[in-house]
Amino acid sequence: MTERPDLHTLTGAFAVDALPEDEQERFEDHLAVCDACEQEVRELQATAARLGATSVAAPPPSLRGRVLAEIDGVRQERPAPIVVPDELAARRTAPRWVAATLGVAAAMLLLSVGGLVVVVTSLQEQVAGLEVAAGAAEQANADLASVSARLAELEQQASEATLVTTSALTDVLAAPDAITVSVTHDDVLGRVVASPTRGEAVFIAEGWDPAPHEHTYELWLITPDGAVPAGLFDPDERGRATRVMTGDMARATAVGITIEPEGGSPVPSDEPMMVLQLG
Amino acid sequence: MTGTAVEVGDDELLLAVARGDQAAFAALYDSVGPLVHGVVRRVVRDPAQSEEVTQEVMVEVWRTAVRFDPDRGSARTWILTMAHRRAIDRVRSEQASRNRAQRVADQQHARDFDEVSERVELDFEHEQVRTALSTLTELQRQAVELAYYQGFTYREVAELLGTPLGTIKTRMRDGLIRLRDALGVTG
Repeated sequence: MTERPDLHTLTGAFAVDALPEDEQERFEDHLAVCDACEQEVRELQATAARLGATSVAAPPPSLRGRVLAEIDGVRQERPAPIVVPDELAARRTAPRWVAATLGVAAAMLLLSVGGLVVVVTSLQEQVAGLEVAAGAAEQANADLASVSARLAELEQQASEATLVTTSALTDVLAAPDAITVSVTHDDVLGRVVASPTRGEAVFIAEGWDPAPHEHTYELWLITPDGAVPAGLFDPDERGRATRVMTGDMARATAVGITIEPEGGSPVPSDEPMMVLQLG
Repeated sequence: MTGTAVEVGDDELLLAVARGDQAAFAALYDSVGPLVHGVVRRVVRDPAQSEEVTQEVMVEVWRTAVRFDPDRGSARTWILTMAHRRAIDRVRSEQASRNRAQRVADQQHARDFDEVSERVELDFEHEQVRTALSTLTELQRQAVELAYYQGFTYREVAELLGTPLGTIKTRMRDGLIRLRDALGVTG
């Protein structure tokens, strides 16, 4: 940050929340790329908390019941998705709120691996991915005899799954302007292959847990006018799903995923658990 | 005093809260509630508004507990940082509708009063912090206290103390660094 040497001196003001909003946002962007400042801010926030801990005031007794009643109806956040855009998406600047949802570590990861992420468009690569999954299954199973049987079964499933996925993708992939965007978090992968000119897209899920009881995952096209339903999906027992998305992709800037009551919702009922920026 | 519960306990409680454990949340509320409310009262002042902000903070703790990373600091720091930020937000949005300049002028008049007299104190914690604060220069101490306890931005602090902006920024930083070292804070 040689062009803004004064930014480093803002750690103290940041730690006591003394920066005006615009400067605070700029400094948070800086923190995402400056290890020294990030470490110092952590220490100075811990110091500021000691200042805070000198003031103790018992909350009114009635507050306890109100808070406990309120949290009963508040859904907890899930781990923030780590956004790993492919090369196409990486050239575009992520919007501010996306950057804000990334932890510092995630941002660093984005910087270090963003250029290495390869768009998976070929059958071979999908098979390779499934072989990795089969390898994991092998490790998990101590019984050698059943491992080989299980492996054969997995390979069979793998080739079937690949065929289904590939046929669903063919039309979109064949479009000259097809783009692929992937997001992974803890081995949970979401991928959108979209053709803006054809106005079509396919969503692919891998490694997803089942939706909670009586709930389903819902896809959304994020457009300038808001979120438009784009279909539901429920991962199979291996955590996979492929869904041809509904709606006009031409106007979508992103695809979002939420958990909704069975049957889906006309509008998202919560913040998206995953967002794929289409650029 | 429940607020003095050891930090290891709070860390474990918050990790359990992140997994959706409501009983752990109730225990965490009992442990850190007085600290949260203390910070909020200190900054917000108004009792009714303070109560609202404390409630917001505790619900936020529940909602975002999954973001807590014990490798990056204690649960207490995480929660008090959030409480302070929320309290500051409330004070600033409140002030946006008032004549900010007038308030700053009033504060100029009032700033010589010793804030310590308004504190509800945790004796041991406070003694340590007071000793640490005494190692700061007067400008460092005023800059840190006006920002943390009163919610002023560094620009307002500079105006209040008639000191250049750059000086205030560096005094906040080197003041906090000196406090950190005096308190043995490792982050």
